[in-house]
Amino acid sequence: MRAVRRPVELQMLLPLALLVPLGFAVTHIAETGTLDPGPMGLAIGFVAVMFGGHLALRLAGNRGDQLLLPAAAAIGAVGFVMLNRLPQSQLGMDLFGVEMGMATTQLLWFAVGITAMVAVAVLFRDDGILRHYKYTWALGGGLLLLLTFLFGREVNGARLWLYLGPIGFQPGEAIKIVLVVFIAGYLAEKRALLAGATTRVGPIRIPPLPYLLPMLAIFVMVMLVVVISRDLGTALLFLGIFLTMLFVATGRRSYVLMGILLFVGGAFVAYQLFGHVRVRVDNWIDPFVDPSGTGYQTVQALYAFGRGGLFGEGLGQGLPSISGRLPIPALPTDFIFAGIAEELGLLGATALLGLALVLVFRGLRTAMLARDDFSSMLAVGLTVSLGLQTLIIVAGNLKLVPLTGITFPFVSYGGSSLLASFVIVGLLLAVSHRTALDAVAEGRGP
Amino acid sequence: MIVTNIRRLGFYLLLAFAVSAGSLAWWQIWEAPGLADRQDNPQVIAARRSAPRGSIFDVQGQLLASSTVIDGISRRTYLDPAFSHVVGYASLRYGATGVERTWDDLLTGRSDPNPLNDLLNDVLDRRAAPRDVTLTIDRRLQDFAAAQLGGLPGAVVAIDPRTGAILAMASSPTFDATAFSGDPETAAAPWAVVAGSPGDPLLDRNRRGHYTPGSILKVLTAAAALDAGVITPQTTYPDQPQQETDGFVVSGFTIREHDLGSLQPALWPLSRALQVSSNIFFAHVGLDVGADRFIDYARRFGFCAPLTLGSASRALAADASYVSARADGGCAPFSDRVELASAAFGQASVDVTPLQMVLLAAAVANDGIVPDPFVVRDLRAHAADPVAGPSEAVVETYGGGSGRRAISSAAAGQLRAAMVDAVHGLIGQVYAGAGSVARYGIDGVLTAGKTGTAERGPEVAPHSWFIGFAPGQNGAQPSIAVAVIVEGGGAGSGAAAPIGGAVMAEWLRLLAGG
Amino acid sequence: MTGEILRILLLVMQLGFLAVLYLLLFGFARSLLRDLRSAEMTQEASQSGIGRLAVVESPNDEPAAGHSIALGPINSIGRNVNSTVYVEDDFVSGSHAMLTFRGRSWYIEDLGSTNGTYVNGHRVERPVALSFGDELMIGRVRMRLER
Repeated sequence: MRAVRRPVELQMLLPLALLVPLGFAVTHIAETGTLDPGPMGLAIGFVAVMFGGHLALRLAGNRGDQLLLPAAAAIGAVGFVMLNRLPQSQLGMDLFGVEMGMATTQLLWFAVGITAMVAVAVLFRDDGILRHYKYTWALGGGLLLLLTFLFGREVNGARLWLYLGPIGFQPGEAIKIVLVVFIAGYLAEKRALLAGATTRVGPIRIPPLPYLLPMLAIFVMVMLVVVISRDLGTALLFLGIFLTMLFVATGRRSYVLMGILLFVGGAFVAYQLFGHVRVRVDNWIDPFVDPSGTGYQTVQALYAFGRGGLFGEGLGQGLPSISGRLPIPALPTDFIFAGIAEELGLLGATALLGLALVLVFRGLRTAMLARDDFSSMLAVGLTVSLGLQTLIIVAGNLKLVPLTGITFPFVSYGGSSLLASFVIVGLLLAVSHRTALDAVAEGRGP
Repeated sequence: MIVTNIRRLGFYLLLAFAVSAGSLAWWQIWEAPGLADRQDNPQVIAARRSAPRGSIFDVQGQLLASSTVIDGISRRTYLDPAFSHVVGYASLRYGATGVERTWDDLLTGRSDPNPLNDLLNDVLDRRAAPRDVTLTIDRRLQDFAAAQLGGLPGAVVAIDPRTGAILAMASSPTFDATAFSGDPETAAAPWAVVAGSPGDPLLDRNRRGHYTPGSILKVLTAAAALDAGVITPQTTYPDQPQQETDGFVVSGFTIREHDLGSLQPALWPLSRALQVSSNIFFAHVGLDVGADRFIDYARRFGFCAPLTLGSASRALAADASYVSARADGGCAPFSDRVELASAAFGQASVDVTPLQMVLLAAAVANDGIVPDPFVVRDLRAHAADPVAGPSEAVVETYGGGSGRRAISSAAAGQLRAAMVDAVHGLIGQVYAGAGSVARYGIDGVLTAGKTGTAERGPEVAPHSWFIGFAPGQNGAQPSIAVAVIVEGGGAGSGAAAPIGGAVMAEWLRLLAGG
Repeated sequence: MTGEILRILLLVMQLGFLAVLYLLLFGFARSLLRDLRSAEMTQEASQSGIGRLAVVESPNDEPAAGHSIALGPINSIGRNVNSTVYVEDDFVSGSHAMLTFRGRSWYIEDLGSTNGTYVNGHRVERPVALSFGDELMIGRVRMRLER
C-alpha cells in the first residue's frame, strides 16, 4: 500500500478546525455571560481525531471518495457542539473508575469510530470476505439478535441493550450492517432472476418462488425477532433498507408497494398488541391530548422547533429549563435535532439536513461507479441505512411519522450508533477504493 | 439497470429530505406564533414566573390588577372580583384566561407591539418592556351590575352601541384569583376551593354561557322580516284570533300562546305582538321570512360564528350562538318548518350567549349597524407606581371598528319604535315596564327593550332574560345597550328586566356626571 | 453597556457559526457538481460499452491478466481467432460460449464445449443470466463481468 494524497478531503476538513472551537466558545460565552471562550480541550480533540482519520487513510493508500469523511465529520461536529453545550452530568460513562461527562464520552467514541473506519477501509479492500461468506454473516447477525432477545436489557419498553461487563451496546446497529451485507450478496447473485418475472399471480407478476422464498424467509425472521424485541424504529429501518435494495436490484415499484402494505398490516397488529406502540401512535396523531403526560416530549420538541424560528434562539441560548431540568429528557439522543433546530433555527437545521444529503449522495455515487453488482448493492444498502435512519428520526421529531427510538447518525449521543455509522463510512471507502483501483488499472483514472 | 435505479432512489431520497425541510419550516415559521402562545410552553411559563408583569386598569384609570416580584416569583394581586372573568387570571400553575391570557405576551414583555422592536429584541435576546392594559369597562358600572346580580347565577353585559366599547361585563358567581396566582407551591388549595364551588364560578357566562333565549330572539325575527320587507309595522295575520284559543298548527305540531291572562285576542300588528310577546305572531313571521333567509339574517347579526372582542390581530374570544342545530362552520339548515317556527320565538335549538344578545340590541340601537365590540381600550407604558394610576404614554389603541350593517336604517327605526312600545306601551309595561330607566330615577328618557322567559322544560324554573337600550326615543342617540340573564330567574319581567333598567339608569346617571 | 456589547459580539459569533456551516455546505455542493460533470464526461467516454470482461487469471497470457475487454451486444468466446473474445488455452474449444446482452441483462450460453463453461463455480447447462461481478471460467481462464 502506497501512501496517497487526499487533497479534497483535507480541504473540506479544514473549516471544522474553525467551526468546532467557534461553537465551543459561543456556547461558553452565552452560558457564562463573560468574554471567556472556555476550555478548548474537547474541541481540539475532535478536530484532531478527524484529521487523524484523514492522515491514516492517506498512509493506508486509500483512493476512495474524499467527501465521505468530511461530510460525516461535519455532521458530527454540529452534534458534538450541541452535546458539549448540554448539562454534562446527564449522560456519560464511568470507565474504570474515571467519570466522564457526555461530551468526553462522545469524543472517545468518535476516536473509536474513526479507528474502526480506517480499519474497515483497509480490511475490506477485497470484497471477497463479505461477498462469499454472506450466509455466515447472516448467521452471525441472527445469533446476535437471539442473544439480544435472550439477554438484552429493556429500555423504554424495547429490548435494545446487550452488556459485556460494564460496556453496553446496541446489537441492532451491528445487525443492520450484517443485514445489508447479506441482502447485497443475495441480490447481486439472484438479481437477474428476480428482475425477470416469470410467474403471474392474478394481475401481479412475481419472480419464481424458489428465488424469492429464501429472501422472504430471512426477512420475516428478522422482522419477527425485531417485533419480539419490540423495537419499532429498528423494524422500520430494516424494512426500509430491505425494500430500497430490492427496488434498486429489480427496478420494481410493485415490490416496494407490497412491502409497505405488509408493514402497515404489521404495524396495525403491533398497535393492537403492544401498549408502548399504541402510546407512540396515539401521541403521533395528537400529542396535545396529554401534553404533560405521554405527549410531553413530542409537545416539548414542537415548542423547541417553534422557539427556534428562522435564525434560532442562538447557539447556547435555547432551552429554558424548567426548575433546572431539561424540557426534553431524551434531548441528547432522540431529540437532538429539535435542540439543534431551536438554537440554530431553520437555517442551521436545514444546513444539517443538507450535510446529511451530501453524505447520501456521495454514498449513492459510490454505488453507481462500482464495477460489480455486489459492490453497488452493498454501497446502496449502507448509504440508505444512514439516510433512512436520519429521515426517520428527523420526521419523528417533526411529528411527520410516529416517534421511534433511533439515533441521528453521527449526531445523537451514543457509542454503538457512532461506531456503526463510521464502520459504514469505512465500508463505503473500501468500495470506492476498489472502483478507483480498477480505473487506475485501465488507465482511465488518476 | 442498477445505475438508473440508484439515480431514481437518489431522487426519492432528495424528495424525502425536502419534505422534512418543508415540515421543519412549517413548525419553525408558520406554526411558531401559535406554539409560542400555548400555556404549557416553557417559554411562557418562564416569562410569567419571573418577569414584572404589567398592570390592568379600568377606563377611569382605576387599578384592577398588578404584580410584585417577591423571592424571584411574580405574584399577581387582583383588586376587584367583579372583574375576575374579563381580566381573567395569570397563574403559574393553572395557566391564564381572559385579558391576562390574550395580552400575556405584551403584559410580560415577551413581545413588543412594534414588530421592528420585536425583531431587534429577538436578535439581541432582550426582553421587551412590560406594558399596562386599560379596559373599556368602567369599574363603577361593573360593580353596580355585579351588585345587582347579587350572587345569583347570571350575567350582565353592557355596551356602547355607537363604538362597540364594552361598558360592563359581569358574570356571577365570581371568584378571587389572587390566592392561586402567586407561588405555584401554595396555589393548589385555593384553586381546589374555587374549582369545586357550586355554580361553576370559573365560567365567564357572557362569553361562554349557552342559553335558550326565549322571547328576546323575537327581536331578531322582527329585524329580519322588516328588513326583508316580509312585514310592515302594520302587518297582521288574519286568522290569528281563532288560533289564539286553538293554537297554530305547523306541520301537525301545535304552537300555543303563553298565558295571556285576561287579554282578548285581536288582530295584532308588530308593536302589539311584541308587547304581548305573541309566539303565534312571530311563528308566522318566521315562516314567512323563510328558513334560508332567517339563518342569513342571524349571520348578519353575528350568530353562527365565534365572536371576538377586539381587533383582528388581538381579541378576546367568545363562543358562537346558534339559531338552529350546530354544524361544521355554523348553523345547520332547519330540519323542518316546526323548528323554524319555534326558533322564530326563541325556542327549539336556539342557543345564545349574553354577548351575542347585547350585540343584537346594540345593532337596533345603532341604526341597524352591528358594532365591533372591544374590551381593551389601549396599551400603555408600564407605570412604576400603579396605585397612582396609569402612565400617559399610550403605545397602542384598540377598537374603532366601524361595524357591519345588518339591517336598513328604516327597519331599525321601526323596530326601535316597537321595542319602546314593548317597555312603555299599555300592555307592554305590564311585562317589561321594570326595564324602564324611568323607574330608577331617570326622567324624560324612553327605554327600548324586550323581556324573555326561556322555557327549559317542566319542573324547572325558566331563565329570565332582558335586552334593551336607552335613550330610545326618536332621534336620540342611544348610549348604552344591555343584555341580562338570571339563570332560573323565572319570567323575564321578574328578575332580569329590573336589573337591565337599573344598570342603564346608573350609566345615564354616570354620564350626566351625577 | 458592556452587557450590550457582549450580546452583540455573541450575536456576531453565532451568525459566524452559521456562516461557517453554510460555507462548508457550499463547498460540498461545489464538489458534488464538479464530480457530477466529470462523471458525465467519463460516462460519455465509456458509454459505447455496455459492459467489459476483466481478465482475472490467464495462464497463457492471451488475453493478458489484468486487462479488460470491451463488450458488444453479442460476443463469441473461443479459441477460434475470429471470436470476439479470443482465448488461447488448450482447455478451450473453438466455439466455446456465447455472451449476449438481451434487454436488461447479460446471458451466457455454452456452445457444447468439451470442458464446459462455469459461472461462479457452477457449470452452465442452459443460458444463464449474469450479474455484474460474476466470474466466468472458460477453460483455465477466469474473467469477471464488469460495468
